[in-house]
Amino acid sequence: MAPPAASQRYPSPSQPSGKSEVSDLKTQLRQLAGSRAPGVDDSKRDLYKKVISYMTIGIDVSSVFGEMVMCSATSDIVLKKMCYLYVGNYAKGNPDLSLLTINFLQRDCKDEDPMIRGLALRSLCSLRVPNLVEYLVGPLGSGLKDNNSYVRTIAVTGVLKLYHISPSTCIDADFPPTLKSLMLHDSDAQVVANCLSALQEIWSLEASHSEEACREKESLLSKPVIYYFLNRIKDFNEWAQCLILELAVKYVPSDSNDIFDIMNLLEDRLQHANGAVVLATVKVFLQLTLSMTDVHQQVYERIKSPLLTLVSSGSPEQSYAILSHLHLLVVRAPFIFAADYKHFYCQYNEPSYVKKLKLEMLTAVANESNTYEIVTELCEYAANVDIAIARESIRAVGKIALQQYDVNAIVDRLLQFLEMEKDYVTAETLVLVKDLLRKYPQWSHDCISVVGGISSKNIQEPKGKAALIWMLGEYAQDMSDAPYILENLIENWEEEHSAEVRLHLLTAAMKCFFKRAPETQKALGIALAAGVADFHQDVHDRALFYYRVLQYDVHVAERVVSPPKQAVSVFADTQSSEIKDRIFDEFNSLSVIYQKPSYMFTDKEHRGPFEFSDELGNISITPEASSDIVPAQQYEANDKDLLLGIDEKDDNKGLSSNNGSAYSAPSLENSSNITSQLQELAISGPATSATTPQSSFGFDDLLGLGLSTAPAPTPSPPLLKLNPRAALDPGAFQQKWRQLPLSLTQECSVNPQGIAALTVPQSLIRHMQSHSIHCIASGGQSPNFKFFFFAQKESEPSNYLAECIINTSSAKAQIKVKADEQSTSQAFTTVFETALSKFGMP
Amino acid sequence: MPVAASAIYFLNLRGDVLINRTYRDDVGGNMVDAFRTHIMQTKELGNCPVRQIGGCSFVYMRISNVYIVIVVSSNANVACGFKFVVEAVALFKSYFGGAFDEDAIRNNFVLIYELLDEIMDFGYPQNLSPEILKLYITQEGVRSPFSSKPKDKPVPNATLQVTGAVGWRREGLAYKKNEVFLDIVESVNLLMSSKGNVLRCDVTGKVLMKCFLSGMPDLKLGLNDKIGLEKESEMKSRPAKSGKTIELDDVTFHQCVNLTRFNSEKTVSFVPPDGEFELMKYRITEGVNLPFRVLPTIKELGRTRMEVNVKVKSVFGAKMFALGVVVKIPVPKQTAKTNFQVTTGRAKYNPSIDCLVWKIRKFPGQTESTLSAEIELISTMGEKKSWTRPPIQMEFQVPMFTASGLRVRFLKVQRFDFYTLDSTILSKIQCRVFKSLCN
Repeated sequence: MAPPAASQRYPSPSQPSGKSEVSDLKTQLRQLAGSRAPGVDDSKRDLYKKVISYMTIGIDVSSVFGEMVMCSATSDIVLKKMCYLYVGNYAKGNPDLSLLTINFLQRDCKDEDPMIRGLALRSLCSLRVPNLVEYLVGPLGSGLKDNNSYVRTIAVTGVLKLYHISPSTCIDADFPPTLKSLMLHDSDAQVVANCLSALQEIWSLEASHSEEACREKESLLSKPVIYYFLNRIKDFNEWAQCLILELAVKYVPSDSNDIFDIMNLLEDRLQHANGAVVLATVKVFLQLTLSMTDVHQQVYERIKSPLLTLVSSGSPEQSYAILSHLHLLVVRAPFIFAADYKHFYCQYNEPSYVKKLKLEMLTAVANESNTYEIVTELCEYAANVDIAIARESIRAVGKIALQQYDVNAIVDRLLQFLEMEKDYVTAETLVLVKDLLRKYPQWSHDCISVVGGISSKNIQEPKGKAALIWMLGEYAQDMSDAPYILENLIENWEEEHSAEVRLHLLTAAMKCFFKRAPETQKALGIALAAGVADFHQDVHDRALFYYRVLQYDVHVAERVVSPPKQAVSVFADTQSSEIKDRIFDEFNSLSVIYQKPSYMFTDKEHRGPFEFSDELGNISITPEASSDIVPAQQYEANDKDLLLGIDEKDDNKGLSSNNGSAYSAPSLENSSNITSQLQELAISGPATSATTPQSSFGFDDLLGLGLSTAPAPTPSPPLLKLNPRAALDPGAFQQKWRQLPLSLTQECSVNPQGIAALTVPQSLIRHMQSHSIHCIASGGQSPNFKFFFFAQKESEPSNYLAECIINTSSAKAQIKVKADEQSTSQAFTTVFETALSKFGMP
Repeated sequence: MPVAASAIYFLNLRGDVLINRTYRDDVGGNMVDAFRTHIMQTKELGNCPVRQIGGCSFVYMRISNVYIVIVVSSNANVACGFKFVVEAVALFKSYFGGAFDEDAIRNNFVLIYELLDEIMDFGYPQNLSPEILKLYITQEGVRSPFSSKPKDKPVPNATLQVTGAVGWRREGLAYKKNEVFLDIVESVNLLMSSKGNVLRCDVTGKVLMKCFLSGMPDLKLGLNDKIGLEKESEMKSRPAKSGKTIELDDVTFHQCVNLTRFNSEKTVSFVPPDGEFELMKYRITEGVNLPFRVLPTIKELGRTRMEVNVKVKSVFGAKMFALGVVVKIPVPKQTAKTNFQVTTGRAKYNPSIDCLVWKIRKFPGQTESTLSAEIELISTMGEKKSWTRPPIQMEFQVPMFTASGLRVRFLKVQRFDFYTLDSTILSKIQCRVFKSLCN
């Protein structure tokens, strides 16, 4: 029997009838409840099916709860399952009624049939009614000891469910230790796998407020446990293998032999048919070898071909998931994939999301040896009927041109695009030609002759039009009819809807005027008049500005509007290398698909409870630790876990010094530096401003950041200058932290705005970084956060290390400082406190 | 965590909920609505199979006329999610007997709920093997096999196997006739110039098996791949036999294959699941040997007429022959009338796939055959959208021939000598010509 085809979206026709049918069902169920006639199970089944189908399409059938429970006294297992499903769905909304079900579920938990025992236990734990948790403990306890593994697997997950309903009940019943011993001793692989996932979740959640849970969580990553899992990984099913591999990623190997042992153990996983297992293995390999550049390189070579196979088999969605990861790797290490560029050619029947990724990869792998082939292939796509892909292809050609030294052939290709006389192709190409000219002015001669032949009437898209106008203005002296084309365009000022184009028209008219004044004067006059009368604010302002500058002095105007330009050497990269590294750390997750780190898309409450503390490494803060002064040795145990925390470290210098050079061509490195510099500039003015508040005020005011609201009584300007680009690798940090004596302990209060902004540690880390104080590890969650910072003197390699514990409920920060030079530690502390006091200020 | 899926939904193309299973409370009940309004009703649907709305990510796949949507709230493992959907669909198919579509779901929704309960618990994937699940998820309604005869244990350790190491095969199978079938299916991507030169060619192949064997047999498969043969000759310390060996770019195996042994000895040994399964997948880019040459010429004669000429040449040995050759020649959507002649076989215009379908039952080696067609198009008003010229597709089977040259040298059943093995080895090639460059 099929569920009715009614939909939630159109409730009007189905809902009223639904109501009467529900009451019908109610009477029918009631009649059957007591009946013991033969065949009664069949009619019950039909009724149950009806109830479930209503439930599926969203009709509220909770009113038959009582009847359903009454009818559930049956030996028919299918009936039982339907009943369990129903109860699980509605129990939360009807806590009182669900008490009725406890009885029969508990009875079923003692059934002789393991199947029934398991099902009943699962349903019991799925009720999700907080005041019934007391009934769960008993059955769960015996379920964990059941001699049937099916029941045990269910009981293990049941413990996790219980934890989510009521953590205290779960902990009080001592379930986690039981799970741990099951995990290490049970003969059944699935029981072990479920124990692992349950324990990981429970301990991650507990770790924030229990020292012990934190230790337990670390013990999962200890060598014996990891090897216990890895040695018998073949016994587990594919999903559990993913789980184990994910655990192994977090393991910190003791030495290189350890690394090789693990890689040898896992090597054959790369041949697994399940793409998820392969990806998880790839992640383990990549993370293990991060510090060993040569081996890391070999790992790339090794994983290349399994990944390529996965891409070419399976559904497009699966290839998309794999391709996204491959894309990440290709961007990190283009030269390794350079010879395999043919694998990234698009195929006719691929969905556009796959094609788009492939285009990006082709762009990334292009180098001297394969550019010709790749560009030829891309030119094919430009003629594609799918306009979006055609555009992407043209952009890809442009990007390749911008990253290559020998652009001769590519420029020719681009110019050929212009001859295709397709509106969108021309528009895209013009934008690219413009960018190319900005980088390689020496090509202007070839380009201009072709561009000059394009009729501006054929270009409709604002971006393309703006690019053309820019070129007309910039190369007015080389294009004989530039002033006249501009004049034409200016005459149609009224019809030009895009403000961007009008702005460009103004500027181009100005530039043209400086080069060929007699021919342009009239057009410029019209343009300025039209511009001043324009309703668009920017156009109006620019026209007025030009007008006044011209009035003041034409030569000054020329120097302002059309100064000699330098070629752009590198276009800014949109993503900083810090973000890229972070995505790389989160390999094999959604981050890679979205191409942004997880904190940018998982929402706050999900970051809060478990994911977050998990990501941040294992630094924990107990509540009592922050209220009084912390004994230094209490953290000594944890300090060695700093290594675990480095995935999250905000400063990526350490990483790039390890392996950055191996991955990226020098030009990329430069570009990322430039971007990060720009970012710093945008955040706080020059990085050195941290030490000289006055000057930074001035600068900020110029930027219009409105610092006037900042509190006047800032401490006197410290004399210490810090190096904004300080680098320290985590190993060195740990060593120093252990060796150096504590030079200063200070307690200070954090302003309320700062507390408000400190919902996540990242906010403070970013703030401090703008003051040249870098974070190396952080952890904890509200109300206690703990950070390890370091900074370096501007002039000499003298390091300052600081531990900062912030309690958001008392708004106090406790700072411990260690320094290479004891004498300046007070100065550093002042800088630190000043920076901290500004946190959260607008 | 690999996938802590919060919920799974099955929707039809209109967006009606067919199945709705919530595993965790961390997503609201309005997730289906979010999916409908933000993904289905916008043009986003074809853009990306992973989308984020609010704090949740939607990982979805379309399979026939059903959308399967997994909702996750954390930073989940996407590859795992897709694989789970694929496996789950395979499982449902094996229960429904082939089809997986809206009707099948509506007719079996109770069963699907039961299965969803078993294959995922609290968002973690559990066992998805049809072999094992079929032992205890049935719609027969009797109590499960454990209790019907608790003393006899008719299916010993069934629940142990639910979770056990050899999760893909159950014990106690018995067949009167023990049979193994093996197919090699290769799909060839080919790019040819208008003169018939091969510009690019790669092969993705699958070895499919169908096993009906009693007990727990241990099978060993020998292929003519280079590494395997070298290893073998090295172990037997004698030179490799002459003959063609091929180099596989990469291989992946079904979980039943002992990977450690493959890595050390380069032999494919396995305890097969019962019934049909995909043993291995491989990829080859070098030395592909194509059995056919297809030479199309397409002339557009004005706006309403086209001439299509396709010549197919078989280049394999004259004693061999291809079976079931199907050539699909795409034509524009606005085709009104077709007129064609073929030298062999039969051709037909199939408007639902916009193709001329040309079938030849038996195609001997070293021969050629042509199709010439005249096509009349409906003249369309307004701007004519140019025709994409999709690739010509071709499917055929050539017994004992693969494009890659991969051959099965032996298939041994160890441990059970009393088998009378009726082993059929069949090779199929699906060839797709992906595009033809016309200068």
